[in-house]
Amino acid sequence: MLGGMAVAMTAPTSAEVSGVATSGVAAADRMNALLARVAADGDREAFTILFLHFAPRIKSYLMKIGAATDLADDLAQEAMLKVWRKAKLFDASKASAATWIFTIARNLRIDAARRAAKPPLDRNEPGIVPAGEPAPDARIERAARDVRIRAAFGALPPAQHEVVQLHFVDDLAHSEIAERLALPLGTVKSRLRLAFEKIRKDLGDSVE
Amino acid sequence: MTALNNIRHHPKALTLAAFAAGNLDEARSIVIATHLTLCDSCRLAVRDFEALGGACLDATDPAEMNDSALESFWARAGKQERNALAPSTLAANDFALDAAHPLAAYLKNGIDAIEWRPFAPGLAQHIIPAKGYRPGVLRLLKIAPGVRIPMHTHGDEELTLILRGAYTDEVGDFAAGDLADLDREVLHAPLATGGEPCICLIATNAPLRFRSLVGRIIQPFIGL
Repeated sequence: MLGGMAVAMTAPTSAEVSGVATSGVAAADRMNALLARVAADGDREAFTILFLHFAPRIKSYLMKIGAATDLADDLAQEAMLKVWRKAKLFDASKASAATWIFTIARNLRIDAARRAAKPPLDRNEPGIVPAGEPAPDARIERAARDVRIRAAFGALPPAQHEVVQLHFVDDLAHSEIAERLALPLGTVKSRLRLAFEKIRKDLGDSVE
Repeated sequence: MTALNNIRHHPKALTLAAFAAGNLDEARSIVIATHLTLCDSCRLAVRDFEALGGACLDATDPAEMNDSALESFWARAGKQERNALAPSTLAANDFALDAAHPLAAYLKNGIDAIEWRPFAPGLAQHIIPAKGYRPGVLRLLKIAPGVRIPMHTHGDEELTLILRGAYTDEVGDFAAGDLADLDREVLHAPLATGGEPCICLIATNAPLRFRSLVGRIIQPFIGL
């Protein structure tokens, strides 16, 4: 559906975009197209391909915060169940499949960690997911922007790539990353800042 | 609340990234989520970081699923009616489905119904239980016009979102929607300005450090 458009609008933004990153973009576009097929008519074959790609990664993501393998398996299935059930509401122009699935897995991980830490909370407790509609002009090419962010991430120098990955997937706070890599806290923060600045530069955003 | 166009002070990129990564404690998450309801540009920045999270998830080494995972998935999916969802004009990935205000459940009757606990002349607070699985402290602070908080710094990091009124300090002028993202480097003494009390939502993950005797006397009452 719109997945093809996203790729057509996306050109590598710098000479540093490697072949690996570009093929990553192609793979991401394929995932978007598969999810669009699930959205359109509940295509089980397309969903199975999505499941085989994302479920093992979500499981890995959950195991990084200490979930035992069976629990992580179960929660990964639960995350994919949300994808399946809400797929009709997926709009490929709003976000890529990986972005959307990441937010589903992240929220599930936060909920699971809360349940493990203490008794269930008030059901009306506010979600931490930001609500609200982006300004119309800013929504243009949202999905294309996701694809470019992915390419920019793939093109980060290894040291920056590593801290970003530890922050977003391993759920490590800055101080925990510092401990893991035996680096000063300031170095971790500046690597993250440099990574974000480089991504913004690759996107063509102004960096103040 | 609706988006404000005149917000001058925003969270740091590192703070927004930690929020998108799901790495902030509950108290700071609520402060950021509240700011996002007011600030289009930060909401877009968080979306960018969520896209980065998607790329990171994709780059993760996959774990091996249990042999029967796919089979058991379809068994679970079969029990749930896929078409039973309420019709909606919003896309699920539009991030607009849970439009409830982040503070609504904590302040059911709004800011005007808060039971303030005075602890010093011109200062009152209301503590919100929001412990989460990562420790942090969330509180509302009301500063009467013309009152100044004693000079202090912070043990680690503090997020302050102005909900009503205004204050001025060494960093700048803050009004509704502005967010002060402070660390231990910042030494400040906010002064409530304007004609109405300044009401702030504050998340700390470490005690304030007062520099004056007055502040150290006040501290036990604030509980910061």
